[in-house]
Amino acid sequence: MLDDLLRIEREFNQALDEAGSDPDAVEAIRVRYLGRKAELTGLMKKLGTLSKEERPAAGKAINILKQKVAASLQNAADQAGNARRTARLAQERLDVTLPPRMPWTGTVHPTTHARRELESIFRGLGYTVESGPEVEDDFYNFQALNMPPEHPARDGADTFYLDGGLLLRTHTSPVQIRTMQNRKPPLKMICPGRVYRRDWDATHLPMFHQIEALVVDEGITMGDLKGTMDVVWKRYFGGRVRTRLRPAYFPFVEPGCEYDISCQVCAGDGCRICKQSGWIELGGAGMVHPAVFEAAGVDPELYTGFAFGLGIDRIAMMKYGIDDLRLLMENDTRFLRQFPL
Amino acid sequence: MLVSTNWLRELCPVDATPEQVAAALTARGLTVDGVDRATAAGDVVLDIDIPANRPDCLGHYGIAREIAAAFGAELAPPRNLQETAAPSDELDRLVSVTIEDPELCARYTARLVREVTIGPSPQPIADRLIACGLRPINNVVDISNIVLLETGHPIHTFDYRLVNQGRIVVRAAGQATPFTTLDQLERRLEPDMLVIADDEGPVALAGVMGGADSEIGVDTTDVLIEAAWFSPLSIRRTARRLGLSTDASHRFERGMDPDGVLAAQGLAVHLLEELAGGRAVPGMVDCHPAPWTRKTLELRYQRVERLLGYDPGREAIREALSALQLAPEDGAAGRVRVLVPSYRVDLAYEADLVEEVARHLGLDRLPSTLPLTVAPSEDETVHPLAERARNILAGLGFHEAFNYSMLPEGGDRVWVPDGTLPPVALSNPIAEQLAFLRRSILPGLLQSVDLNLRRGNRDVRLFEIGRVFLPTAAAGSRPDEPLRAGLAWSGLAEPRHWSRDDRAVDLVDLSGAVSGALSHLQPGLEFREERSTLTCFHPGYAVSWRSADNRELAWAGRLHPELLARFDLPQELFLGEIDLDAVLAAGPRQFEYRPIPKVPAVSRDLSLVLGAGTGYRQVVDLLASRPAPATATFEAVDRYVGSHVAEGETGMTIRVILEPYDRTLTDEETERYRMDLIEALESSDLPVKLRA
Repeated sequence: MLDDLLRIEREFNQALDEAGSDPDAVEAIRVRYLGRKAELTGLMKKLGTLSKEERPAAGKAINILKQKVAASLQNAADQAGNARRTARLAQERLDVTLPPRMPWTGTVHPTTHARRELESIFRGLGYTVESGPEVEDDFYNFQALNMPPEHPARDGADTFYLDGGLLLRTHTSPVQIRTMQNRKPPLKMICPGRVYRRDWDATHLPMFHQIEALVVDEGITMGDLKGTMDVVWKRYFGGRVRTRLRPAYFPFVEPGCEYDISCQVCAGDGCRICKQSGWIELGGAGMVHPAVFEAAGVDPELYTGFAFGLGIDRIAMMKYGIDDLRLLMENDTRFLRQFPL
Repeated sequence: MLVSTNWLRELCPVDATPEQVAAALTARGLTVDGVDRATAAGDVVLDIDIPANRPDCLGHYGIAREIAAAFGAELAPPRNLQETAAPSDELDRLVSVTIEDPELCARYTARLVREVTIGPSPQPIADRLIACGLRPINNVVDISNIVLLETGHPIHTFDYRLVNQGRIVVRAAGQATPFTTLDQLERRLEPDMLVIADDEGPVALAGVMGGADSEIGVDTTDVLIEAAWFSPLSIRRTARRLGLSTDASHRFERGMDPDGVLAAQGLAVHLLEELAGGRAVPGMVDCHPAPWTRKTLELRYQRVERLLGYDPGREAIREALSALQLAPEDGAAGRVRVLVPSYRVDLAYEADLVEEVARHLGLDRLPSTLPLTVAPSEDETVHPLAERARNILAGLGFHEAFNYSMLPEGGDRVWVPDGTLPPVALSNPIAEQLAFLRRSILPGLLQSVDLNLRRGNRDVRLFEIGRVFLPTAAAGSRPDEPLRAGLAWSGLAEPRHWSRDDRAVDLVDLSGAVSGALSHLQPGLEFREERSTLTCFHPGYAVSWRSADNRELAWAGRLHPELLARFDLPQELFLGEIDLDAVLAAGPRQFEYRPIPKVPAVSRDLSLVLGAGTGYRQVVDLLASRPAPATATFEAVDRYVGSHVAEGETGMTIRVILEPYDRTLTDEETERYRMDLIEALESSDLPVKLRA
C-alpha cells in the first residue's frame, strides 16, 4: 500500500506540473485525486482489509498524502486565479498619456503677483496694509505732503483734476497722511493702490500701481530705511541684490533720496537695460519731513519716520522680463494665463 | 540741464575726469543722466537733472560750487561783481525804476551800456551756447544767455530807445491787454500778471519773456540790462496761465537769489563791453524796497545721529557745513549755527541741514539697521474681501484683468441702474476714451473681451477687481468708491476635451460662478436670485442676487443683442458684477458651523408641471414655508420642456431632502410631509400641478 501511495504522489506531482496555471486542468486534477472516485478514496476503503497492526500507520499515511495533495491543489488554484486576474487586468487599459479632463484654471495679474509678494514680505516684517480713496483732495494729495499751491514739485505729478477741488491721487501718500491722522504712532504700514498721472507714452500709463511704506516711531533713522530696503529687495529679487541710496529731492522727505538696486540683467556689470550704470532706479525714499508730520498731527520732535515708494507694475515687469507696458492693460488671455495663482 | 565741463573747469579747476565729476555730482543729489563727448567739439557735456529745490544749481557757477565742495577744490570768485551799487547822476538822468508791489518784485536793478555794435558772437562764446543746447543769435542776446548759464540768474536786455525815457515801472498789468512777446505771439495778459512797463505800457512780461516792441535789433546801440527778483508764485501762475515756460520763468518760479542780481549785472556789463564794444554808464539803479537779512539756522549735533542712525562726530559735521559754504559757528550748547547763503532757498528746517551733512559725507555711510518698531493694528483699512475675491474667481477659472478707471462719455450708461447719478468727469482728461470715472467694471471687461475675440482668443474668462466711482448728492464731496468684482465669460462652458462634445457657455454657467463666489466670499451669506432690469443685458437673461436684508449683491446677464451687434462680437458674451461692499455688509457677523447629522438623510422626489411664468424659486419658497419634520432642503434634479408638457409649461422634478439630526424619521412621518407639500401646491394660487 505504501508503494501505491508513493506512486500516487509521484503521479499527482507530475500531473500538477503539467497542468501549470491552467485553472481547468487544476480542477480536473482535483477531481481525479480528491474526488469520490479517486484512488486515494479507494485506498481508504481498503483499510479494512489490512491487519490491525498495519491499519493505523497506513491510515495516517493516506491522510498525510491527502492533506499534501489538497494543499498543493489550493496553491495551484490560487496561482491559476492570480494568473487569470492578471491576464484580465492586462486587457483593461487606459492610455494614461491622453490629455486629462482638466477644470478651467484661472490666474491673477502679474501686477497682483508682485503686490502680493511684496505685501507678504512686509507683513512678515510686521507691517499693516492700509488703503484710502482714489479720488482725493488737494490737502491730502499735495498740501499735507509739503507741496503748497503752485509748488514747482507739483509739475512732476501731472494731475487729473475733477470738479469741486477734487483730483485723482497721483501717489498713495495720502493714505499715509490719513493713517497718521487716525492712528497714533508707532506706525508700520504699507499702502498699495492705483494712482493716476496725466502721462501716456511708451513708458508711462495714465493709471498705474504703487506701494509706499511708512514707519513712524521714536528713534527711526535713515539707517533703518537702508536696512529695510536691503531686506525687502533681497527677499524679492534674491540674496545677491545690492541696494544704493542717492540724495534726491521730494518735498515730503528730508533727507530725501532715490534708491537703486543692482541691475538684475547684468548683475551690476553694466548693460543696455541699466544704461551701462549697473543700477536700476526703483523709487523715492527718505525721512518724513517735519512739515508732513505737522500736517498729519504727529509731533516731529518726538517722532521720526521713514517712507519709501515704488511702482508695482515696473517691479513686476522687471521680475518677469515683461518688455512692453501695454501688455499690462490689454488683458490678452495668452498673456494673462501665464501667471497661475 | 546741459552743462559744459570746460566751463565748469574754468570756475573750479579739479583734476578729475568728466565721469568722476558726474559720479560725484550724482552722489550729491545732482543726478547726471548723460556724459556726452560727441556733440560739442573739444568739450564734454553733462546732462544734469537739477532737483526743483536747487535753483542755485541752474547755472554753471552753482554746479561748480558743488564740485568744489565734493573735491575740496578752490572755487573762482564770481566774475566782475558790481564794483559799486550806487547810482550815478548820469544813469539817474537816463533810467528810473519804480516797483509798485514789493511782494511781487523785491529787487530790480538796471544798468545801461551804450554804443554797442550788434554782430555775431566770437566762436568760443557760440561754442559754449551750442554745448549747452542753445543757438547763437547775436552778441547781445548771446551775452544774456551766457549770463543765465553761468550765474543761473536770468537777465533781460531791452533796446533802451524803445523803453520810453528809460522809465521802468514794475506793476500788475491792471487790465486785460493784448501783448506781443519776443516769440511774435500775441498773448492776452490778465490784470494780476506782473509786467515791466514804461509810461506807455508793458515792455516785458516780468520774469517770463520780453516784449517784441523793445527787442534788441540789428540797429540797437544802447542796451538796458534788467536783473531782478520776482515772486516765484506770481511768475509760476503767469507762466502756467499763458502756457509759456521759459528758461527765465523756470528759474524765477523756483526762487532766485536776491543778491544774484549783482553778479549777473557785473558779468553782463563786462561782456557787453568786451564783446560788443559797448561803454557802460557808471553806476547801477538798484531798487530794493525790502532788503533781506540772511537767515540763520541751528542744528543740534545729536539730531544728525537721530535722523541718520550714525554719529559722524562734531568735527565732521562742521567740516561738511563749511565745505558747503554755510559758515558754521558755535550755537547754544550742543548746537551749531549756520548762516544760510542767499542762494540756498531750500534750507529752512533743521532737517535740511542734516541732509546737507548726509549728502556731503555720502549716503553710502549710512548703517543698515532694522526698525525695532512693533505696531500691530486691529483695524487695517484694506478691503477684507479683495484678496479673497481674487483667489475665488481665479479658482473658478477666470483670468485677472486690469482696465482703466476711466471711460468715454456715456461709456457706462446702460451698465448702471436708472436713476444713478451721472459719472464724475475729469476736467483735463488725457484722451476722450478716458474722460469719466467708471460706475461699473463691466464696460472695461467688454472691451477686453472684444480685443481677445478679435485676436482669435475664442475662450475668454476674465475678472477684474477694482473701485467704481458713484457720485453722492452732496456737492463737492468725494464720490463713494465701492469695490466691485466684474466677470466676463465667452466661448466654451468647459475646456474642450476628447471625451465630450463642446458646449457653449450660457447664463446658468455664469450665474453658477457668481453664486459660487458669493457663498465662498462670506460663508453663511444668504441670498436669492431675481430678475434684473439692467439694460445692458438681454431682458430675458438677466439675474440679480439679493441678500436677506434686500441689498443687491450682484447682477449678471447675457450681453444685450444690440450691444453684441454694436461691438460686432462673433459669439455670445455673459457678464456679471459683484458688489463686494454689499457682500461685506450683508454677511453674517460671525460664522458658526452646523453640527453634522448623526442619522442619514431621506429624500422624496416631486414631479411637477409648472405653468407658464412660474419660477422655480416661487415653488421652492412655497415648499419651504411648510412645517417639516426635519431640516428640509430642495434640489432641482430634472427639468423638461417639450412635447410631453403643454406649450409654455415646464416639467420639473424637485427633490426634497430631509436631514434629521439624531432621530431616524419613520416612513409615515416622511410620507405625511410629502402629502402636505402636495396639498400645499395644489391649494396654492400657483399654476403648478403634479405630473401624471
